[in-house]
Amino acid sequence: MPKTQIINQNTLPDALPNFRSLGVIMRVVLLANGMALLVALILATSWPDIAQRVLNISALLQPVLLSNLLLLYAAHPLLTRWSYWQGAAAVLLSVGVITLAIYHLGGELYVPLTGYEYFYPWRDALLGMAAAAMLLVYFSLRAHALSPALHAARLQALQARIRPHFLFNSINAVLGILRADPKRAETALEDMADLFRMAMSHSGDLVPILKEVALARQYLALEQLRLGERLKVNWHTEDMPDNALVPPLMVQPLLENAVYHGIEPLIEGGTIDIRLYRSGKEMHLEMYNPRQEKASQHAGNRIALANIRERLALQFDVEARYTVETGKNFYRVHIMLPYVQESF
Amino acid sequence: MSIVELPLTVFVVDDELPARNRIKELLIDCAAQLPLEIVGEAGSGHEALEKLSTVHADVVLADIRMPQMDGIELAQHLNKLPQPPVIIFTTAFDAYAIKAFELHAIDYLLKPIRLGRLFDALSRARSAIPLRSEELQELTPEPRKNLSIHERGKIHLIPIDDVLYLRAELKYVTVRTAKREYLIEEPLSMLEKEFALRFVRIHRNCLVAKNEIEGFKKVTDEEGGEAHWTVKLKGLDETLPISRRQQFIVKEIG
Repeated sequence: MPKTQIINQNTLPDALPNFRSLGVIMRVVLLANGMALLVALILATSWPDIAQRVLNISALLQPVLLSNLLLLYAAHPLLTRWSYWQGAAAVLLSVGVITLAIYHLGGELYVPLTGYEYFYPWRDALLGMAAAAMLLVYFSLRAHALSPALHAARLQALQARIRPHFLFNSINAVLGILRADPKRAETALEDMADLFRMAMSHSGDLVPILKEVALARQYLALEQLRLGERLKVNWHTEDMPDNALVPPLMVQPLLENAVYHGIEPLIEGGTIDIRLYRSGKEMHLEMYNPRQEKASQHAGNRIALANIRERLALQFDVEARYTVETGKNFYRVHIMLPYVQESF
Repeated sequence: MSIVELPLTVFVVDDELPARNRIKELLIDCAAQLPLEIVGEAGSGHEALEKLSTVHADVVLADIRMPQMDGIELAQHLNKLPQPPVIIFTTAFDAYAIKAFELHAIDYLLKPIRLGRLFDALSRARSAIPLRSEELQELTPEPRKNLSIHERGKIHLIPIDDVLYLRAELKYVTVRTAKREYLIEEPLSMLEKEFALRFVRIHRNCLVAKNEIEGFKKVTDEEGGEAHWTVKLKGLDETLPISRRQQFIVKEIG
C-alpha cells in the first residue's frame, strides 16, 4: 500500500514554526535566554559570578539571536516552500553562519574573550546550532501535542454549538408554521441545513468573513422565527474588510449565547449589537447584549466562551485577545485577532 | 341513560408564537376523537394567571422555560385556584426538569410534540390528580419570583423582592410589603428553605429580608425585664424582636 494512503488526515505533517508569529518569537527568546542562564549557573563559582557570566554570554547571544530571528522573519515565505528537513537544515546553517559572522564583524569586541582564537567561534557556532536544533524539536513536539487538542476542542465546540435547546425549539417552530406558511418553513429548514453543515464540517481552516456573517444571519433568521419581535439585531459592518479570514463559527456561538442568556429571559426582548471592524493589523469583533438583572449563572455560558477562547489560542497563540465585561444588565464581548487577508 | 360529557377545556401557555400555533393545530387534530375546547392562550405566566382567573380550564399546557415566570412557578400559582387545572408541562430540552418529572412520575410532553402523546396525555387528564405545591417546588432549583394569594376570585402576585418580612400567626403567614399585608397559607419553614437567599430568621415565627434591614437596636422591656435586640426594616415604622437564639445575626449582618 502506498504510504500516502495510510496517512491519517488528522495528524499534522512536520512543519517549521511560524517565525512571524509573536508567540513563536517570544518562546525562542525566552528559551534561548533560559539556556544561557543555565550555562551561567553551571560555570559560576559564586553568586556575583552568575551575573557576570550571563553578561558575557549575552554579549554574543543577543546579537546572534536577534539577527537570526530577523533573518528567519524575512525568509519565512521561502522556508514554507521547502520541505521540513530542508527548512530545518537552513535554520541550523543560518545560526552557525551568523555566529561566525558576528565573531568576525565584532572583532575587537569579542577578542578579549578568545584565548584560543580559532576554537571559540567554532565552539559557539556549534553550541548555537545545537540550541537551535533543540528549539526545533521543542516546536515540533509542541505542534504534535497541540494537534489532538485542536480536534478535541473542535469536538467540544460542536457540542457547545448545537445546543439541544436550539435544535428542538427550532424544529418545533418550523412545525408551527408548516401548515400556515409552507414557503417560510422551507427557508427555515434550508437555513438549518446550512448551519448544521458548517457545524459538522471538520475543517478548522479560516473562512471568509462574509461567509461567517451570512451564516450568523441565517442562524438569527431561525431565532427570529421563534422569538419574533423580541429579538432585534443591529449589525455594524461598515468598517469590516470583506477579504478578511476568520476561524469558522466564531460569530454564531456568541450570538447563540446572547440569545439564550440575554434575549430569551427578557419578556420584552432586546437588541443585540454586533460590530465587526479592522484596526491596523487587527480584526475586532464586539458584541453587546442586554441581560436580566440577577440572572442565574448557567454553566453553558462559560463553556461556550471557554471553547472560543481555546480555539483562538490554538489558532493564533498570543496574538488573539479576548475580553468579557459583565454589567448589571448588559454583557459585552470583545475579540481581537490578527487580520488575515484572503489570498487569490 | 348516559351522561353527556362536557368537552375538555384546554388552555395553552408558551412564550413562542409558532410553538403555541403548533399545539393548537394538534389540539384541533385531537378534537376529532376527544371532545375538547381551546379556551384561551397566553404568551407569559402573568397573562395566563390573568386570563385563567376569569376562564376555567380543565387542562393547562405550560411551557417550562419562559421569561419572568417559568412554567413550574405558574403551576404553583394556579394551584391556588378553587378548581385547579391539571397541568401538562411541555419542554424542548431541559435536562433538570425532565429528570425531576421522571422522578415524580409527572406527565410532560417533549417538543416537538407528537399527536399521539398529546392525545394520551389529554385522555389521562380527566382522572389526574392535581399536583401538590411541595411536589412542584421539588421540580426546580429556582425559588419562585412571586408569592400568590387567591382573593375575590383573582390570583394576586406579590413579587418576592417586595416582601419585607414573613411572620407566622396561627394558621397563616403574614406577608408584609411596604404597602400592605397579605395572608398566605404556606408553612414558614418551607418559605425559609425556598427563599434562603433573601430572608434570615430572626425569631421562631419571623423571617426578614436581609437587604431591607436598616439597623438593630437594643431595647429594655418596660417591666424592667432583660434587654433584647430588635430589628428595624427600611420603610417600616414597627420594629421586630430578635429571639435570644438568633441574636448572633446582629453580629453577622449588623
